[in-house]
Amino acid sequence: MKDFKIMADATCDLTKELSEKYGIITIPGHLVFPEGKELKAFLDWDTVPRDEFYTDLKKRPDEYSTSPANVDEFAGYMEEAAKEGCDMIVMTISSGISGAFGFASKAKEQVEKKYNVKINVIDTMRFGPGFGLMAVYASQLRAEGKSIDEVTAWIEDNKNRFHQAGWLDDLSFVAKKGRLTHAKAFFGTLAGVKPIGEFDYNGLTTVIGKAKGSKKAYTALLSYIEGTIEDPEEQIIFIAQTNRLPQAEEYKKLIEEKFHPKAVYIKDVFPSCGINIGPGLMAAYYVGKPISKDLSFERDLLNKYLEAKE
Amino acid sequence: MATIKINGTQLEKMLRNGLNNLLEHKEEVNKLNVFPVADGDTGTNMSLTLSHGLGAARPRPEAGPYLRPVSEGMLLGARGNSGVILSQLFKGLYTELARAGWITPALLRNALIRAYKTAYGAVVHPVEGTILTVAREGIEHIKTQIDRTTTVEEFLSMYVAEMRKSLSYTPELLPVLKESGVIDSGAYGYILIFEGMLDQLYGKEHKQKAEEAHITVQAEPAAVDPSLFNENSAFVEGYCMEFILQLMKSENYTQRFVLRSYINDLKLYGTSLVVVQDGRRVKVHIHTFKPAKIITLSQEFGEFLTFKLENMQLQHNEVLQNKNKPETKKVLSVIAAVNGDGMEKTFRELGCDAVINCRETMNASAEDFIRAISRVNAEKIVILPNNKNVIMAAEQAVRLSEAKNAVVLPTKSSAEGYFALAMDIQDSDDTALRVKQMRSGMKSTVTLTASTATKDYENGSESCRAGEEIVMMNGELVAASTDWCDCIIKGLRAVPDADELESCVIFRGDGVSDEHEAILTERLSEAFPMLEPTFINGGQSVYRFIIGISE
Repeated sequence: MKDFKIMADATCDLTKELSEKYGIITIPGHLVFPEGKELKAFLDWDTVPRDEFYTDLKKRPDEYSTSPANVDEFAGYMEEAAKEGCDMIVMTISSGISGAFGFASKAKEQVEKKYNVKINVIDTMRFGPGFGLMAVYASQLRAEGKSIDEVTAWIEDNKNRFHQAGWLDDLSFVAKKGRLTHAKAFFGTLAGVKPIGEFDYNGLTTVIGKAKGSKKAYTALLSYIEGTIEDPEEQIIFIAQTNRLPQAEEYKKLIEEKFHPKAVYIKDVFPSCGINIGPGLMAAYYVGKPISKDLSFERDLLNKYLEAKE
Repeated sequence: MATIKINGTQLEKMLRNGLNNLLEHKEEVNKLNVFPVADGDTGTNMSLTLSHGLGAARPRPEAGPYLRPVSEGMLLGARGNSGVILSQLFKGLYTELARAGWITPALLRNALIRAYKTAYGAVVHPVEGTILTVAREGIEHIKTQIDRTTTVEEFLSMYVAEMRKSLSYTPELLPVLKESGVIDSGAYGYILIFEGMLDQLYGKEHKQKAEEAHITVQAEPAAVDPSLFNENSAFVEGYCMEFILQLMKSENYTQRFVLRSYINDLKLYGTSLVVVQDGRRVKVHIHTFKPAKIITLSQEFGEFLTFKLENMQLQHNEVLQNKNKPETKKVLSVIAAVNGDGMEKTFRELGCDAVINCRETMNASAEDFIRAISRVNAEKIVILPNNKNVIMAAEQAVRLSEAKNAVVLPTKSSAEGYFALAMDIQDSDDTALRVKQMRSGMKSTVTLTASTATKDYENGSESCRAGEEIVMMNGELVAASTDWCDCIIKGLRAVPDADELESCVIFRGDGVSDEHEAILTERLSEAFPMLEPTFINGGQSVYRFIIGISE
């Protein structure tokens, strides 16, 4: 069977270590830092330490911005693979959030005209570690010997099963940047109230419940995961944290104790996503039951646990 | 001196005298506050309510038609619980007297019975030992003594005397009064009004002091939004000017005041002119673009007793604004009452569509809420009061505006309102869920307020001296100390399971510095390591800190 490559734009937040392990090529977009400094998206903290980045981001969020790789840049990565005669899957951040899918699709047209290769562009409808986890699944399927079309079909059929269970406790960024959720009315930190977000049908995050304090949030989230996850022992689970490492470690411990997954990785959120999320994300990503169209099932489930007395 | 009946003109004078008597004793009434905190004082609330009613009415000879705008104005202008109850008493009075040209003692008896019944009916849980008791007993105990020979003076004397007797028993009926060693302030205020009315019949006039005149004027333009008039606004509506001119005897003034020529001169400068002369006083109402001309002309004859100038463009723009309520209907809109600019900003950021900021009076009036309700366009409206004394005014507003889609969440503090909003799920279109979420945010919140005691006080377990720093928890004194920070820590220990709790919001009041915040933050992290306090510059008056902790 013909070998194929898997590419993902840099909002998948896969570190060099993971992308090498799973053979995933990351395509960097662009970042604008304060004083108009333009940078290529990076997936490590060599340029700027994490704490420094998030502290400064909180101080002057308006001076940071992101943009995806453009058509030519996508085409460049695609051509490199095409020159080797490789087919490829190119995965992009949710089209609900970014124009990356459109750019990649344009690039595909250009490259397919010049080279006799197959390029499958997938709109993951996810971002950050939810997207990264999906790329890892694609890689695992490839390793099992599935063809490019089989892998593509599986991702398309199952992307709605990639869950996010966690909180986003500083919504001011989301409100300012107008990304990631339906920012109807949001405010910075909510004095310990943790808005709990799940991926919705449009590839955004929607708040489906609120917990008072992290203790209650953990309890409700673990029950929520239990009610939505499938075959946890078979899974790799990602935990994303922007600037909430102690909480993420606590969460990891609780998830390992309860679900015994194959592995739990705590993953950083790098600036491509972090600029739009801000410092308050702490969430687990896993595969489970398909997410309902209006999130009513998920909302009811979570609120049942949130209302339960300890 | 035997008045057997009174008409609208007399009633107006009597009510003004009643208001002025209340104003003379306002501070005394305010000091009857049960708690050692100067917020939402009864004397202020009741006088603002009554003056709003009197300001809404023009003198008329028929008693009923005169009372109608008074009653309506009071319902709208009602502030604080005592103001709301007072407005309901007057609503009852008016209902009974609606068709009366003259008020006889027999009619007045029926009206006062109707008054207290209306007020009892409007209160969800009537509490005895308050204005309600006094208004009820006052008339019930004397009603059989009223006959054809009773004069209005005799009637009112008996009524006032009976109410005073009833007032002296209020501490027996209401333990909080007894503990604080006071009588009920609302009941006392109510009696003062009737006493002033009676005094008027006896020719004893209570004068309106300059400072109070100021308050009367303030009460009327209930929270117009100044942002609706700016440097680019058209100015085509002019000013509404109202004043009372005292004609002076000094030789500095033109002595020959001829009403007709004065009116003719005023006509040159404005429209909608109404001029009433009463002895050496002249009351004027006029719409004008040239207020200075009118002032100059009038000062030839005398000086202003009261003076009010309103930008009608601003009011006009506000009316337009109300008409132009948002076209897209929201699923749910939230209206909140706050005290402080920082609070206003915070509540807007949290998603409130209308915020009533009561910087001066502490308590939002029913009219403030009605305006807010008219400005939002939503299937469901949730109203968040900021004080237990504001809840009834909000409920009155909902009734008056007939907004069936509006519900008052009885939030008793800005902290409760904050957590109600923090728990709202704006992403959802399910209004029942959202209201439920907000209610849960409200219910689970404990509010602590830090302020300086205005008087000595004790409640069994705690006591404080005037001038000490105090912390109240959900309205009960829980800590007192000479050190503000110690006091807050001690207050927080009174919160059940305080060591376990995380969610905490702290509103910084007027005059609290970053340094204070730093000191408090450090002390809190030592004493309550689990607590994650979020500081917000509230800018509220009276309370140095308002602290909300949510379980």
